[in-house]
Amino acid sequence: MDFDFTPENEAFRAEIRDFLDAHVSDDIRHEIKQSAAGHGLGALTKELIDKIGDRGWIGMSWPREYGGRDADLIDQYIFEEELSRARVPLNLGNFIEQAPAIMFAGTEGQKKYFLPRIVKGEVTFALGYSEPSGGTDLGSLKTRAVEDEDGFLINGQKVFTTRAEQSSHIYLMARTDPDAPKHKGISIFLVPMDTPGITVRPLWTLPGGRTNEVFFQDVRVPKDTLLGERNKGWYIGASALNLGRAGARRYCTYISPFEDLLRFLREDEIGRELAKDPVVQDKVAQLYCEARVAKLFTMRSLSMVRRGENPPYQISSEKVWGPEFQVRATEAASQIMGDYHQLWDEDQAPSGGSFPRQYVSAMVSTFGHGSTQVMRTAIARRGLELPRE
Amino acid sequence: MDVLLDDDEKFIQEAVRHYFDAECDTDRVRLIEDGDELLDTEMWQQLANLGWLGLALPATQGGSEAPFTQLCLLFEEAGRALAPVPLHPHSVASLTLAEAVTAGEGGAIAERLLSEATSGESLLTWAWNERLPGTGADAVAMTAVPDGNGWLLNGTKRFVEAFDAADHCLVAVRTDPSVGTEAGMSLLLVDTGTMGVTGTAQLAMGGDTQSEVAFDNVHVDGEALIGKVDEGWSLAKPMLERAVVLNCSLLVGAAHRAAERAFEYAKERVAFGHPIGSFQAIQHLCADMITWVDGAELLTREAAWHIAQGMEASLPVAAAKAFTNERCQMVIREANQIHGGYAQVKEFDQQLWYRRAAAWSMRLGTSLEHRKTVAKALKLG
Repeated sequence: MDFDFTPENEAFRAEIRDFLDAHVSDDIRHEIKQSAAGHGLGALTKELIDKIGDRGWIGMSWPREYGGRDADLIDQYIFEEELSRARVPLNLGNFIEQAPAIMFAGTEGQKKYFLPRIVKGEVTFALGYSEPSGGTDLGSLKTRAVEDEDGFLINGQKVFTTRAEQSSHIYLMARTDPDAPKHKGISIFLVPMDTPGITVRPLWTLPGGRTNEVFFQDVRVPKDTLLGERNKGWYIGASALNLGRAGARRYCTYISPFEDLLRFLREDEIGRELAKDPVVQDKVAQLYCEARVAKLFTMRSLSMVRRGENPPYQISSEKVWGPEFQVRATEAASQIMGDYHQLWDEDQAPSGGSFPRQYVSAMVSTFGHGSTQVMRTAIARRGLELPRE
Repeated sequence: MDVLLDDDEKFIQEAVRHYFDAECDTDRVRLIEDGDELLDTEMWQQLANLGWLGLALPATQGGSEAPFTQLCLLFEEAGRALAPVPLHPHSVASLTLAEAVTAGEGGAIAERLLSEATSGESLLTWAWNERLPGTGADAVAMTAVPDGNGWLLNGTKRFVEAFDAADHCLVAVRTDPSVGTEAGMSLLLVDTGTMGVTGTAQLAMGGDTQSEVAFDNVHVDGEALIGKVDEGWSLAKPMLERAVVLNCSLLVGAAHRAAERAFEYAKERVAFGHPIGSFQAIQHLCADMITWVDGAELLTREAAWHIAQGMEASLPVAAAKAFTNERCQMVIREANQIHGGYAQVKEFDQQLWYRRAAAWSMRLGTSLEHRKTVAKALKLG
């Protein structure tokens, strides 16, 4: 066991820190916040993403032939951790989330087209999984893709399609065989968002953000938009989804309300007063231990993936512990800070109004990307081999 | 960074598990708990013969000089098996003797005892707690004043493990009560048969034997001193940190095994025509159990690793104990719940893990106490 990073890792961390110090301004932070609120990617943000892409830090752990730099996954982890520490919520991880599936199941042509563009930030994917009839029960999806001589004709609807308005493509799960058992008739398509027949409608969300509904009406796509084999989409998606849940960016999200609280209690004049209360100290110490566990779970998943293992339940554990910790931390912060916690005007509120935003957004973590209940079932069945009936 | 076990660590883990699987069934645990023997002496000698009593002790005293992390893995296995041997007090005392001997501050007795501790000829324990238990320097009030060529001890220690079986006890005393709490402390190695030393058994829910030990004008020679006079805290602080982490390792091992037993039971036990493990209510309990015990295990191993690296460890140690105390108990309570009525039945084995893990979580600092240490390290208030 080794819980520390090498001097090379630390040198890389310093390089990232220097870069972020030099290139991230408060204007960019503000613009990113606006973009999360549905205003699209701003010019400054695009410029920053280009600079990051130029340095090869997006998808850095991929093979060189696909635009990566064969970097250790630990460097990827450090990069994500530093972005979070610098309070740059770029979610660059979302850029590359679909890449493992493309590497695993894509044709040579798809790999050569998509992967280098993903690392440049030119291709970005919205995740076309959930539908009005089912999100957690993904296998029951209804969107249809009917094959004909020219390609596929797609009809249906997706929901909670975050960043659909600013992504170049959608990573779309659709039913290609309605007669097969439900998990065996699904395929994945990589569809450009500007394809005629696609309509995006915003759904405004509580944290002052945006997700979307996406409608597909007689959308015609060529055959080469199919990823992997026809009707094998479920298996491609499941594996990528499991690995996609690992990574520092998620644990950074889970612990960010706690880090904001700690900063407030140490640095804010009122926070320092509140921190003298032994009851507050006990609560914060408890949260610290729990946050540490969230980080260690991430380090464990990373260690397993680096050893070439596909963790049977550990990533699901991380996805139960982290989001529920995030909720506990926001609840504790609200009861420690009281009145001050409600304020969300950027200029008046502690921490630029991050607290009430965290409070209302923490819940998204417990159901987004697979609810904690589904995760628990996965731990029990896949990890502990408990019976189905 | 790789938080999983490396090949050496896996090797020791598998070897120890193999031994306890073969030798330490619950009949043997019950034999010691219900009988008059204080420990399983045959198992103790086997552990010595396998080299495990000296696993992390210096080679000059017959030990293997393995890192502290490996000793913690051995303790996880001992906790899984509920091994009826006093590994904890023996290791806490012998590791501190080793630290002093390595620094040239041990003396001839310490060197001899360390060799005997490795071979199993001597059984060591330690005495820290008095009236108000705790892992801070303020827990120690018992005095030792200069007396001829040595010291005169007066005071009472409590919750001393395996005292009646031990031949020597490492005792924390105040040699200069006039200065602070951390200063003025010393560690003395006392033969448990010395005149004026009286142990009274304290029966505890874990089934082990602890003692209240009264020291009434007990004279020890100068060579009983371990470390430097009045500077005992510099040895006591790391001693307590190791003791806390070793205790966490026992807890984690016990909770892990209790969880696994519950998972197996859930697969076999049928209710309403189905194995109860197929019900989501039970599955979700099980999912939480493995998540909690894994979290405790990672925090404990991280703390052990800090100690093994010689790094400042007070924060990771306190975090591990604060979390492990509570979560490992929660794991075993859920295991009880899965076992239902049988959890309370003495002849059913579940209670063996429940009582011990509960008792271990009450030793060496409560979660409240360790969270104070965490808060201090976080520079709050």
